[in-house]
Amino acid sequence: MSCKDNIRVGIYLCDCEGKLAPTVDLNKVKTNIQKTANFEFIRIANSLCSKAEQERLAKEIDRYSLNRLLIAGCIDPKIKRQLIEFGEERGICRYNIEFVDICKAGKENVEGTVSLINEGLLKMQDRSTIVYEELEVLPEVLVIGCGKEGAAAALAISENQPVTVVDNESSQEGKQFIEGKKNITVKTGAKVVGVEGFPGQFLVRFLDNGKHVKQSFGAIIIALDAQPCFNRDKYQVGLGERILTLSQFLKNDKDYSGQKVTFLLGKADEDSLLSYAAVLKNALMLKEKGADVNILYEDMKVSADQLEQDYEAARARGVNFLKYNGDLQILTTAVAVTVRYWEPFLPQIKQIRLVSDYLVLAEDYVPDSGTADLAAALDLRTGPDGFFQKDNVHFLPIMSNREGIYFVGSCHGPIYGIELQKEIEAAKAEVGRFASGKVRVLALQPQVTAEKCAVCLTCYRTCPHHAIEIVHDESLNNMYHSAARMHPLACRRCGICAAECPGKAIQLPLYSDQEILQQISRPPKLVAYACENSGALAAEMAKSLDPNLQVDLQIVPVPCSGKIDALYLLKALEQGADGVLLLVCHKENCKFVWGNERADQRKEQVRRRLREAGLEEDRVEIVYLAANQGNQFIASVQSMAARINQLGSNPGKVIR
Amino acid sequence: MIVVDNKPIEDILQMIAPYKKVLIAGCFGCVTVCLAGGEKEVGLLASQIRMARQKDGSPIEVLEQTVERQCDKEYLEKFQDNAREVEAIVSLACGIGIQYLAEVYEPIPVFPGVNTQFLGANRDVGKWEEFCMACGECVLDKTGGICPIARCSKHLLNGPCGGSQYGKCEVSKDVDCAWHLIYDRLKALGQLDKMKEIIPAKNWHRDKGPRKLVKEELTLERN
Repeated sequence: MSCKDNIRVGIYLCDCEGKLAPTVDLNKVKTNIQKTANFEFIRIANSLCSKAEQERLAKEIDRYSLNRLLIAGCIDPKIKRQLIEFGEERGICRYNIEFVDICKAGKENVEGTVSLINEGLLKMQDRSTIVYEELEVLPEVLVIGCGKEGAAAALAISENQPVTVVDNESSQEGKQFIEGKKNITVKTGAKVVGVEGFPGQFLVRFLDNGKHVKQSFGAIIIALDAQPCFNRDKYQVGLGERILTLSQFLKNDKDYSGQKVTFLLGKADEDSLLSYAAVLKNALMLKEKGADVNILYEDMKVSADQLEQDYEAARARGVNFLKYNGDLQILTTAVAVTVRYWEPFLPQIKQIRLVSDYLVLAEDYVPDSGTADLAAALDLRTGPDGFFQKDNVHFLPIMSNREGIYFVGSCHGPIYGIELQKEIEAAKAEVGRFASGKVRVLALQPQVTAEKCAVCLTCYRTCPHHAIEIVHDESLNNMYHSAARMHPLACRRCGICAAECPGKAIQLPLYSDQEILQQISRPPKLVAYACENSGALAAEMAKSLDPNLQVDLQIVPVPCSGKIDALYLLKALEQGADGVLLLVCHKENCKFVWGNERADQRKEQVRRRLREAGLEEDRVEIVYLAANQGNQFIASVQSMAARINQLGSNPGKVIR
Repeated sequence: MIVVDNKPIEDILQMIAPYKKVLIAGCFGCVTVCLAGGEKEVGLLASQIRMARQKDGSPIEVLEQTVERQCDKEYLEKFQDNAREVEAIVSLACGIGIQYLAEVYEPIPVFPGVNTQFLGANRDVGKWEEFCMACGECVLDKTGGICPIARCSKHLLNGPCGGSQYGKCEVSKDVDCAWHLIYDRLKALGQLDKMKEIIPAKNWHRDKGPRKLVKEELTLERN
């Protein structure tokens, strides 16, 4: 039997080296499926996790031109991932591989197993063919920041593609290293005031020495150096000839041989290693030039590559490391500077007086002064201390809330040299995708039905990633000839837009309303919509923590809790559930910026609606958890189960 | 855009209490844009009604349909198949759509599912503001593009009044004083002299009753 619309399914019934034989007779299953289903090829496999079987599978994919795989077996998450990788290497994308857990049907249940497989086949047939889109992109990269970090980033990226560096009316310290270099253009006195468009085709607006100009770039890298900032209050002393800041010290080329120089660490720059790295390196150099060097510290921070070695080397060469505790006093005269401090290991000594010729003070690092303006112009989020990027475990270091715009270096918090190099390499790899002028991307962004799109802008405004535009095209079949469109390179597939749409015009492939509501058409007592970045993973973990967890529960995975439509919550209850849970990432820790906040607002909305309808609002609850909180998952599910037991059967369920 | 807000469900349940089968009629126009009467809201309300009635022991069948605009007869006709099936209709369109629907489908009772609020702008997701009261004689040229009729609590044509303080209206500190805004705008435009101009009182007396607009050069005689 062959399949419709060029869908060529291969069905593999894996008996897990015979381990599944006592569970169900796969031969009978195979015969039954052969009678009814549409597919291209079917066979019973011995263990698909073995290399030999996978080689055979690869040959069959070629021979039968298979473009869909249905794998029925024990479905271990690890094997699942392995087979997905295997499929993608052979041109079958992960969304065209369906897994069916044979054990789910129960023992010796041939019919149940067959119906599970048929359900899986149906899902595949329904799924519109997912295609790759090839897009034209600009290889040109804009680096915002002409300090040392911006220059370093530009130099690395210019090896592969053209780079323009703007100083954003800030530091030009890096200019000398990049001016005149191949593939690099330097623009000074220019400030970025806005960005339109999408990755691959950004239109950047500049105020270039007072004139408005615009230019297109494929990608943008923000690499504004953090600025040192001396805070007098932290030392209770002013600067002078004998008291310098670390950055003043680094800039002057004075000869300190024969002088006594003390570096003071720990009172400023508490959160980074920048001062520690600079002090260790310079202490060593001074020592070699014949200076007498002290480092006063509270805690020596060496937790990065090379720092431990520098510390050991400095000690070995005779740099004095002096630990202090708490407050200290700095006194200065025309010829010397004295620090009075307490030594934690010698409590009987009241105070130690350390006299030096020069005292060098660590400073704090603050964001470049243009950071807030740039964040507003590009609609990027800032986090702790006004640096770029929110403090969120889901964000990779260089990622911003927009695809195609990356952070490198101390613009998102003071960063030490080797870490900077790693970030530059990562950013180089990201923008390198555009170097050839073309990219191929899986078109999995949400699809908009123009007939239903009221161009109300709700999706456009609630997209955390600037991935949506309103396009006008005569072929769009509504009165505006316009509709929202999600850009395949900018979209991160969270599905927030689909859940916000008041016209139900937006569907996220693989998570359409139909696909989700189908899962709850005959729901058990408890339905849990679970974010795949937290709740769904915690649920998986819970299985291994407590294999006997007995709760009548259906987990409906969603890519982000922001995809949980208010309608999904009401529908679960209407169709028979007694309670609904939203399993979402911790506050301020949504991978998609504000998906969990939207989920919380929808929970409130639905609770209000239940209250108004005379139903118990406690039937809907939200749980904040992380992927590694399997225990929390068990506790929340059990407490919700207890709660709905107490509330009794849902009086609003409409049994059909 | 016409801005509407959802009617409390208690009110809607009361209106449809005698019926066993109703249609929720959505509108694809303004009420979809203001997130209160589109296909999504139709689904939410329908689900809510079904559960409320189930709980009260009087199950109800609820049909759902949304059309392009309820202020045009041709679109209203799309409801006819469903309308024939039901005992009553709840419309989520603005007051205009509700009335027109009631007129077209007489004698089926049509009930409002929303409270029509005002003519306004959408400042951001979930935030609307009244901008216009459709007075029929626009004065925006004299007031720097800010309407004193719609945005001044007293609808004053010459302001501000004594209740304006620090840019806010005495009615509430959440209400901007429209005349303060007008002053700031005219200042920015370099047209402060317009503040001195006295705008004469409008003729609110509608001697011809409810307004109609007929443009002879556009009307079509269907013979």
